[in-house]
Amino acid sequence: MTKVGVNARKSKARLAWLGLMPFFLFGIAFEIIPVLTLARSSLMDKGVLTLAQFERALTPLFIESFRNSIQLSAATALLGVVFGTIVAHAIVTTRNQFVRDAITALADVTTNFGGAPLAFAFIVILGSTGVVTLILQTIGINLYPTTFRIYSIQGLTVAYLYFQLPLMILLVIPSLLGLRREWREAAINLGASPMQYWLRVALPILAPSLLGGFLLLFANAFGAYATAWTLTGPDVNLVTVQIAALVRGEVQLDPALADALAMLSLGVMTLCVAGYQWLGGRAHKGAR
Amino acid sequence: MKDRGIWRVIVIALFLTFMIVPFLATVLFSISVRWDRTIFPEGLTLEWWDKVTSRSAFETTLTNSFIVSFATMFALAILVTPTAYWAHVRVPRGKPFIEFLTIIPFGIPGVVLALALIRFYSTVPLPLINTPNILVAACMVIALPFMYRPVANALDAIDVHVLTEAAQSLGAGLWQTMIRVIVPNIMPGIVSGCLLVFSTVFAEFTLANLLVGTRFKTFPIYLVEFTRFDGRQASALAVISFVIAWLTSLLIIGIAGRGARPAESLGAR
Repeated sequence: MTKVGVNARKSKARLAWLGLMPFFLFGIAFEIIPVLTLARSSLMDKGVLTLAQFERALTPLFIESFRNSIQLSAATALLGVVFGTIVAHAIVTTRNQFVRDAITALADVTTNFGGAPLAFAFIVILGSTGVVTLILQTIGINLYPTTFRIYSIQGLTVAYLYFQLPLMILLVIPSLLGLRREWREAAINLGASPMQYWLRVALPILAPSLLGGFLLLFANAFGAYATAWTLTGPDVNLVTVQIAALVRGEVQLDPALADALAMLSLGVMTLCVAGYQWLGGRAHKGAR
Repeated sequence: MKDRGIWRVIVIALFLTFMIVPFLATVLFSISVRWDRTIFPEGLTLEWWDKVTSRSAFETTLTNSFIVSFATMFALAILVTPTAYWAHVRVPRGKPFIEFLTIIPFGIPGVVLALALIRFYSTVPLPLINTPNILVAACMVIALPFMYRPVANALDAIDVHVLTEAAQSLGAGLWQTMIRVIVPNIMPGIVSGCLLVFSTVFAEFTLANLLVGTRFKTFPIYLVEFTRFDGRQASALAVISFVIAWLTSLLIIGIAGRGARPAESLGAR
């Protein structure tokens, strides 16, 4: 091929990138630039690079909001991983094809569900006059006013599980299907108890998916706002609730403070999602 | 090995109870005269449904939510489908960049996205801030992965190069090839992407609340207002949200089978 031909092809290949421009422009305009604007204004004060905004963000109120958000996310992620894996194991080992399909479909449908209607549904069953509360009362268990409140972090933990459990189930099913029956048989033949098989063979193989699931569930809960807002309003001090309050200007208007809080929570989320992506790659390699 | 199945039945029964009781209770609550003093409802009525659906705000907010959902859906379909196709046939090296942009939304909480958009676009003289336009743009960001994944998967599943060459050797131009040949072949992917976008955006509260608030009330905002004001009417609205979300999801499963949804899908929390 002549040199001219090669050059023509190269410039054609470069021209082809232009076809992706609308998409890249959208991403730059609505993802990259707004986030960079936040980052810049959280680090700049009157044209000077500074961490003062972050220092100011570390008031007891905001530190508590991070503590609450991290605790809530870790608790619901941990419960989601443990119970989600147990339910997923029950689903993949059942012989009844219909049960398997129906429950997987249910998980698929419910994991996308959250926010206001979910919060309200939990008020109906576990609120101070909810039906489960009333039923428990008749058998002598009084949830209110001291044991349990749905309008609190405890209540949020229960409500969040409604979308965390199905998400974990969907995430872990492919890895559970990757556990070969022969591995279990080989372990048992070599004298392992089922417990030993789980601890020494299955769990190490599943570890990357379980950890990846934990990170994704953690991020899922950490970024949640609608459910918490509907259920508890401003009563529960979470990071997202604080940021939203600053955005609405309910609290005294302090833009840089909101930016600093937002950047901190963005940091937490990025670590989780990046960790999940990295572990996801490892889990796939393992399955091969 | 006889009673090995019992734990499985218990686990599945508990899971089903946890997932279904909140929904059933909300339905029953919405048609109960009163259900806050006794274990069973004190009589049944359609009064709350009647009351809440006859308000003009009911129709307005429902319409607004449909407008935002459909606008987001169409805009994303038009932006994402040609991009995914073009990257697939001409610029495979562009794919990592596209995928990077579709992963970012998973890492941005709704409140942070709203804050970032307000911060930047309030300094730009464009008709965006405080209008439904900014809400649609924000919804496009969070729903981007839901549109891109199914379309990219559908493209991977067919032989795009052979189809493109065949169409072009028969004299079809670029747009003709895409619209008459490629799009029909990846239709299930596009449709399930659209439905995923629809169900995500329809339930979106955070962005709507922070970006437009009362200026353009959507259905979830209306619902949250009612939860503070009248629980029984709110329960009817919650049932409508449940049904819309579940129906769309079932449609997706029916059309594309499971797995159309990106595993890491994070919806309206």
